[in-house]
Amino acid sequence: MDPVELAHLLRRTEYVAKADRMTALSGATRAEAVADVLAVPADPVVLPAFIDHDIDGQGYDQWVFAVQWWLDRMTDTVRPMQERMTFFWHGHFCSSWDKVNSARAMLAQNQMFRSQGLGNFRTLTHAMALQPAMLYYLDNVQNVASSPNQNFARELMELFTLGVGNYTEADVTAAARAWTGHTIDEATEDYVFVGADHDTGVKTFMGVARNWNGPGIIDHLLLENATTKLVACKFLTRKLWEHFGGQNPASSLVDELAQVLFDRDMEILPWVTAMLVHDEFYSAATRRGLVRSPVEFVVALQHHTGMRGADLNPQWYVEGMGQVPFAPPNVAGWKTNAYWTNSSLFGGRAEFARDVTWRLRRNDGNAIAKNHTPAEAVAALETLFGVAFTSTTRTALLDYIAVQRANEPWIGWWESTNLLTMAMMTPEMHLA
Amino acid sequence: MLDPDISTADALRLLTVPDHDPMRMGRRKFLQLVGMGVGAGALAGPLGSMGQGWAAPVGPTDGIVVLVGLFGGVDGLNVVVPYTNADYYAQHGDIAIAPSQALHLNGSVGLHPRLAYLKSLYDQGDVAVVQGVGYPNPDLSHFSSMATWMHGKVGVDSPANGWIGRWMDGLASDDLLRAVSVGQGLPLHLVGDARRGIAVPEWGAGFGGGTDQHDRWMHTAMRAFAGAPGSNGAWHDRVAGTVRDLIDVSQKVSPAFDRPLPDGSLQKKLTIAARLINANLGLRVLDVGFDGFDTHANQPTALADLMADLDNGVKAFFTTLDDSFRSRVTIMTYSEFGRTSWSNDSSGTDHGTVNNHFVIGRGVKGGMYGQQPSLVGLDRWDRMGFHVDFRSLYATVLDGWMGGGASTVLGGSFPKLGFFDQAPGVGVATGSVPARAAGDWVAVTPTRIYDTRIAPRLLPLGPGATGEFRVTGVGGVPATGVTAVALNVTASSGTEVSSLTVWPAGAVRPDIADVAVPRGGSVASLVTVSPGRGGRVRVMNDLGAAQCTIDVVGYFRSTAAPRLAPVTSFRLLDTRTGKGGHLGVLGAGASARVKVRGVGTVPATADSVVVSVTASAPTAYGSVTVWPSGRTRPTVPSVAFAAGAATTNLAVVKVGSDGCLMVRNATGAVHVNIDVLGHFTTGARGRFTPVPAWRVLDTTTDAVAPLGPGEARVVTVTAGHGVPATGVSAVLVHLAAHTPTLDTSLVAYPYATTRPGVTNLSVRKGGHASTLALVKVGAGGRVTLRNALGTVDVVADVVGWFTS
Repeated sequence: MDPVELAHLLRRTEYVAKADRMTALSGATRAEAVADVLAVPADPVVLPAFIDHDIDGQGYDQWVFAVQWWLDRMTDTVRPMQERMTFFWHGHFCSSWDKVNSARAMLAQNQMFRSQGLGNFRTLTHAMALQPAMLYYLDNVQNVASSPNQNFARELMELFTLGVGNYTEADVTAAARAWTGHTIDEATEDYVFVGADHDTGVKTFMGVARNWNGPGIIDHLLLENATTKLVACKFLTRKLWEHFGGQNPASSLVDELAQVLFDRDMEILPWVTAMLVHDEFYSAATRRGLVRSPVEFVVALQHHTGMRGADLNPQWYVEGMGQVPFAPPNVAGWKTNAYWTNSSLFGGRAEFARDVTWRLRRNDGNAIAKNHTPAEAVAALETLFGVAFTSTTRTALLDYIAVQRANEPWIGWWESTNLLTMAMMTPEMHLA
Repeated sequence: MLDPDISTADALRLLTVPDHDPMRMGRRKFLQLVGMGVGAGALAGPLGSMGQGWAAPVGPTDGIVVLVGLFGGVDGLNVVVPYTNADYYAQHGDIAIAPSQALHLNGSVGLHPRLAYLKSLYDQGDVAVVQGVGYPNPDLSHFSSMATWMHGKVGVDSPANGWIGRWMDGLASDDLLRAVSVGQGLPLHLVGDARRGIAVPEWGAGFGGGTDQHDRWMHTAMRAFAGAPGSNGAWHDRVAGTVRDLIDVSQKVSPAFDRPLPDGSLQKKLTIAARLINANLGLRVLDVGFDGFDTHANQPTALADLMADLDNGVKAFFTTLDDSFRSRVTIMTYSEFGRTSWSNDSSGTDHGTVNNHFVIGRGVKGGMYGQQPSLVGLDRWDRMGFHVDFRSLYATVLDGWMGGGASTVLGGSFPKLGFFDQAPGVGVATGSVPARAAGDWVAVTPTRIYDTRIAPRLLPLGPGATGEFRVTGVGGVPATGVTAVALNVTASSGTEVSSLTVWPAGAVRPDIADVAVPRGGSVASLVTVSPGRGGRVRVMNDLGAAQCTIDVVGYFRSTAAPRLAPVTSFRLLDTRTGKGGHLGVLGAGASARVKVRGVGTVPATADSVVVSVTASAPTAYGSVTVWPSGRTRPTVPSVAFAAGAATTNLAVVKVGSDGCLMVRNATGAVHVNIDVLGHFTTGARGRFTPVPAWRVLDTTTDAVAPLGPGEARVVTVTAGHGVPATGVSAVLVHLAAHTPTLDTSLVAYPYATTRPGVTNLSVRKGGHASTLALVKVGAGGRVTLRNALGTVDVVADVVGWFTS
């Protein structure tokens, strides 16, 4: 596989193109490389013990541990695509720590995304619907026959499967009734079905009158009704491509990949494989078309600096960058590209880069610039951060060095310090 | 679920316009926008400096709107409570607000009990409550509903721009800082086709705002990451442009964060918004939002907290807002939808349709607008019908406050709601002395001297058409000895986006747009121009046709006008001690007459006096006005305050023919004291020269200790930053006090003189306050600042000086 294409594949699926992975896959064909990337561990990880240690009584410390643990895992796991898919589903079937307020429930959901993230979409949908994290987050715990709560029923169609405009208000009303009684046992905090709260009457959903129950709604949308199933496949495909490929995939491309999901009974692995081996995934437009999300930026910096969450404390910065793991801003999750590129959120990235700079200086305050010509200093930055600067970026960095050395010829610590920050804020560092 | 900003759902698709084509508002366009006469190439160079592309300060009669988003869909029935409606109580059940709890506005509706401050504003006539706001065929999705509100048009699947963005597209000038959203991300309504607002994070200007020279070198180089659009793809260029924007914006907004901010998301955001307005960066639109209104369950507690946040936020905003902007700012609430009239069994409400909204400000004609939709016969999942299209709300704000353009922005004509009773900045233009001193300034009673709508012209100015009129010997301006006049030029009913130019008759017309003419609506701007041939001035309209009215508000004269004589300040009036002949509070509507000529060091020939007016222990939100005895009371108060908060302001007041001033309190009851700081008298020598703010004391830095109880701190205020070492009689100082440990006051007086028994600034324990102080300079060019009680942080900036 061409090294440029391989590096692109690895950045999109494993955050960065690590040297050892480049070496290991250097002789592989595209299909072989994709298969290797997707060969994730079957039983990957045990839930960390910290979930039972709520030090401050408000879950904050648990959340900090969870964030550091997950970001470290993204950085170090042997097959990072497993974490990328976990995060993709986290941003799709959203639940937020802020509302759920239970480390156990949030980590259980996280673990499900990890173990089933390349499994079957319909199975995954069934599972997430009945997990405490979702039952709390979209209020189905409040959904009882005598007073239906539509929140989950609506989002199941609007954001999780079909997209707005592909169902009616009557469908929402019927689906809400179908999901009544699916709730949580307050004693065990586990899922329970309370028959007494379930509406057993006949409901007309998508034109079909029967005594619908919640899980039956999912099977209808994703199995029995070919129309809604195909709508869902296209809806999901567009989202998948925007997450891994870039903006606005052509309809023909969406249709082609959606058909794979449709034909393979909603199996995720062949669908993702079809995307990653597709020629369009390696086109110039795709290669230049995606901005790193904040989480991907953090993972890249963790890898290149060798420091991890305990050193960098990314939990202090993720909100400023606009992406708080375990706390999506709303049920629609995070978007891509222009969603991240505004001066406010880049201010958060710059603050993080500045903090990383101070921590790098702790090791050797002046390693980048001292005893280096300007060109050597820039080359040292490229090596450190695994990027190749464009000529515009290079000129800007050299201009800075020229001004700095004209004023302070002794090459003090300021020069290395500012060069490190600047390198982390070059456009090259923020493209996936 | 909640819908905090542009990002959500279909609102998400809004933002996909720049996603499709980031270069649509990419660096090239951006540079054009920022150019302002500087070539893009010059700005794009590695050491190119910014600074020319920022917005001009807001004109004295430009309206400013502050949008407050209540995300999640607020339950309007519990915000504006129909407390005599039996159906409301039947349907809202146990979460309904009892008649005794609601803050009654009239005989049938009342505010949520946590909106006490809003109620006080309503009582002052500054709040319009608009009921029954909605639009046809709503759907109940947070996302598409928010997209509709932000887009400002109905039935558009994937809107790509928002109503404020389109309004900005129609402005005659291109400025980076016209609209700011305080928070993360840029909401759709601030995105136009050609122009976008800016997001300012609530935690500070942050990276890019530093002033260390090494940082500046770094910032300059980082701005150059954004070179000419290259072969690296549009997203590469977009990221580079974002880094440049980050640095530019940080440098501009960082002063808004250099003082402490209150806790609480909305209070903090609205305080930042007020400071950004005070900084006069050219902002016309401020956007803030907070969420949590999607109260499907346990609504009463949640909504009570949110209403308290809203009330405190609005209070923080008006407390922070500088008086000079008070009559130019309007607050407007919005939310994606209302909620069901029936509560659910979780003590909550579900997604609904219509809602009630607030429009707040001094230009607002307070009262009830629209109509509460009927609840009669509604079943559990029925939604209320709407009476007021939300685009009517927007149209009223755009045409009534923002200078016009509603029909273009909204794509149609919508009935105006008529909730403004005065134009932005009424009374402000007369007090705004142009900074460029061209002689001694003389204010006149504003007088209309040109009007295309009346005889003899009777016609609007067509394309390229010129009008000519006399500016000397009219409206109180003398026939001779006038070096320049200050004109308030208003353009209205423009048929095209155009501009007006004003220049001296007989001179070559300069290529300058003095007034930006919008299509429709009206806009005004203060223009300073020298009288030309025959004491006449010309005005020309560029495109289309527009009506033009011109008022003269003052002039500069070459012969001596009364000049300032600063005095060692003394107390003229104190209602707590009876000094000045008045003992006891001033009640609502009560006024007092105070002799000033011949009192203390004020001579019998004084033309006007500079006074510091302090309102203490007010029982209600209100204002005190000081004006010349024997004249009509002006509509602009001298000092405005909130209940309980001692507040001080500086005022320059002409002395009445009987040698007296009048003082009046508007609402509630309040103690007033007045300290004289100086007087304008013919023959006096003080001529004012403004200087860029020079920070002479800042105890908020680690290096400088705060002022302790009774501590007097001496600072040097001459020989630096434009203030000469000699020949300075007095300085004008902006004094700010922060977070004192006790209620206290500050006094500023000449160094090495006896401390006068006056107050320049009062501040509550833990609070913040600021004012201008006129201080005579003592020995060695120094002044003394003294704190009364507790410990307080003080920041003092010299902003101008007077000749001796």
